[in-house]
Amino acid sequence: MLPLDNVKVLSFGTGGVGPDACKIIGELGADVIKIESKDNLDFMRTIGPDINNIGQFNEANRNKQSFGVNLKSDKGKELVSQLIKMADILVENFRGGVMKSLGFDYENVRRLNPEIIYVSSQGFGGGGPFSDHQAYGPMLSSASGMLSIWAQPDDPYPVGSNSPLPDHMASKHVVIAALAALDYKRRTGKGQFIDMAQTEVAASLIGEHYLDYTFNKRTAKPMGNRSPYAAPHGCYACKGTDEWCAITVFTDEEWDSFCDVIGNPSWTEDPKFAGLLGRLKNVDELDEKVREWTATLDAHVVMETLQAAGVTAGVVQRAPDTLADPQLKWDNAFIELDHPVSGKRLYPGIPFHLSGASPLQSTPAPMLGQHTEEICRELLGMSEDEIQRLLDEDILHSPANTESSGKGMFG
Amino acid sequence: MTKEQEGALSVYRILDLTDSWGAYCAKLLADLGADVIKIEMPEGDPGRAMPPFVDDIPHPEKSLYFLHRNAGKRSITLNLETVEGIDIFEKLVKTADVLIDNSPPDYMDCLGLDYPALQEINPSLIMASITEFGHSGPYKYRKGSNLVDFAMSGVMITSGYPGKEPCLLPGSPAYDAASVHANISILCALLMRSATGQGQYIDTSVHETSRMGLYPWIVPNYSYALNPGGPPPTHETRMGAAIYPVYPCKDGLIRVVALTPRQWDALVRVLGSPEVLLMEEWRNFMYRIGNTDDLYAIMIEFTEKYTMLELFEAGKQEGVPIAPILNIEDFYNSPHTKARGYFVEVDHPVAGKADYPGPPYKWTETPASIVRPAPCLGEHNEEIYCKELGLSKSDLVALRGAGVL
Repeated sequence: MLPLDNVKVLSFGTGGVGPDACKIIGELGADVIKIESKDNLDFMRTIGPDINNIGQFNEANRNKQSFGVNLKSDKGKELVSQLIKMADILVENFRGGVMKSLGFDYENVRRLNPEIIYVSSQGFGGGGPFSDHQAYGPMLSSASGMLSIWAQPDDPYPVGSNSPLPDHMASKHVVIAALAALDYKRRTGKGQFIDMAQTEVAASLIGEHYLDYTFNKRTAKPMGNRSPYAAPHGCYACKGTDEWCAITVFTDEEWDSFCDVIGNPSWTEDPKFAGLLGRLKNVDELDEKVREWTATLDAHVVMETLQAAGVTAGVVQRAPDTLADPQLKWDNAFIELDHPVSGKRLYPGIPFHLSGASPLQSTPAPMLGQHTEEICRELLGMSEDEIQRLLDEDILHSPANTESSGKGMFG
Repeated sequence: MTKEQEGALSVYRILDLTDSWGAYCAKLLADLGADVIKIEMPEGDPGRAMPPFVDDIPHPEKSLYFLHRNAGKRSITLNLETVEGIDIFEKLVKTADVLIDNSPPDYMDCLGLDYPALQEINPSLIMASITEFGHSGPYKYRKGSNLVDFAMSGVMITSGYPGKEPCLLPGSPAYDAASVHANISILCALLMRSATGQGQYIDTSVHETSRMGLYPWIVPNYSYALNPGGPPPTHETRMGAAIYPVYPCKDGLIRVVALTPRQWDALVRVLGSPEVLLMEEWRNFMYRIGNTDDLYAIMIEFTEKYTMLELFEAGKQEGVPIAPILNIEDFYNSPHTKARGYFVEVDHPVAGKADYPGPPYKWTETPASIVRPAPCLGEHNEEIYCKELGLSKSDLVALRGAGVL
């Protein structure tokens, strides 16, 4: 048994949040159909030369079937309407106003299916002046206050990361909303509309800084890796290029262990480092001393030596480090899938273990329109002739009638 | 604060044994109406000591981290390291649907409160455990912290300035990644229980969830770049400033997402199509990445002519996503934030009245809301122990004296 056996989900949208949420829902056992159009491709299909061979897309769209359809045609809309009637959950993360322009906003969808759960996850959420603005992942931190404090104190201004943090935290909130609403629907028969603002998810993740403003009238400044109640607390450069180990020392006991590990050099005897307040007051000097120790050592050696002594430390890992990480191996954290175009590649699995469920299964991301014909036949009860006619008329898309070279970002 | 209305999860009772690092999990359930009872040792959740504090006064009811992540819960004190404490706990377990725990490996087993024992008391109980590295495996007994877990997640190496120390994401990203996954797993178990009547045990670690949850594309990207006979994948590093550049403008900073040639063209139009930006090479994303510093020097001359909101609006008109970089005060006061009613007033008996971040979504049928402030330590002892479990007030006095409550 899987947690979401027999749950039917339609996934409209693009980019990270909606697709990632439905990827998780699919891996938990739901039947997920991604509604796609070749005239308005999921943005992630356009960031490389082949729409069916892009790592980020193929990760975010695992565990789905692709129904390729021209959403602007009346016939296409009619077919999608029939799928809506069968669905328990609809997830969308288009820019505000897009679903309405397609005729699939909640008011219309509930007429087709009054019990549907409709989760709309947009950058800014409905009901305000910014509702129709596009919001890519890197904008969530920008527009939510998070980026304003995401920097080292001496950085000229914040630059965030090449990863669209906290996009993938918003997607988990979509899953939470969809599943809680599903539980309610199973008990009461009632569906509903959920209007999420991804910027509000980002703000909730730094809620203490908002309370610092509303209680204390203080607008937080970047603290980088520093902690108000621990030192050392940072990433320290190790042997090699751009290799780091994170170390955090909270208690005096941990501090004593740390000093033992590094061989109790004379500077550690200096009374100014003996207590937390002293270590915090002299943190720049302290960090310099710690760096002198780490600089000559491999980051993994720093981690292993400190952990063996009960001091919290961890390598700033990259992909190959995480693949070699013994604990993640133990957890079977990565799964290999064979994609028809991309071949065998590695993906992250669901990171929790349910004692009462069968092992979770993942399927590779679909090619655009890969399941169109199957869905027409099996769910919509259409004849081969009609399917072929709609493919010929370009109302339906299948891999056979779709050019796979996208109008990519490099072209 | 909104009045109490039925939430999506109002029928469920959650026992929350987590400290502040796992508190976000049950907070999300409380937002959706669940009856969350936070069980604290008599001295209180260590998270009550986490700065910052209301008025900068260290006080167990004034930690802002605690107040945010425990809003909507009730609190009882209970010492699980006593015989009576365990006896009372087992009575509570009979009334509960879900138990969330983030004690270290083996701790609950040592108390005789492992899942098989609890399931004997309540077969439909769902128990979700959050540990740093899991209940088994080579890292089982290692120590974690927010910074260290974030470092190991694989995403930190991409955060901050190239050449400088990788930078922590604000908040508690690693722990919150664990909290949201534990939350999803609990909802899965509740859905399964409605069919089977049986509870189940969930093992979640901060290490695995932050690795998968914060940025799941790292390993697929690497795997896609790894091809037989091909060059080795590039060593990942900090490219935020190049890929999603930040530029100063008249009244602050903006961040630009111009990846495709179409988005770049739109950005050039937003800035008045200055000749220096019309050079054909600039339309190529990789060229821009390779010439980040030169581009920056050219761009600021034009971005500084406009305000954040002018560029935000013009970007929308022309078709290039541009975000204002709002600070904490800006976001709180933004007309959009106000229009959505994101912040809600909460009145706490000790901390006082203030606006809190509300749930990040609006529900039409079952409102998501903060129905009560974070609890004072043991605030609901009488309500739960006397009214529900039938203890007398003098029992509470005796148990308090014995260090049980």
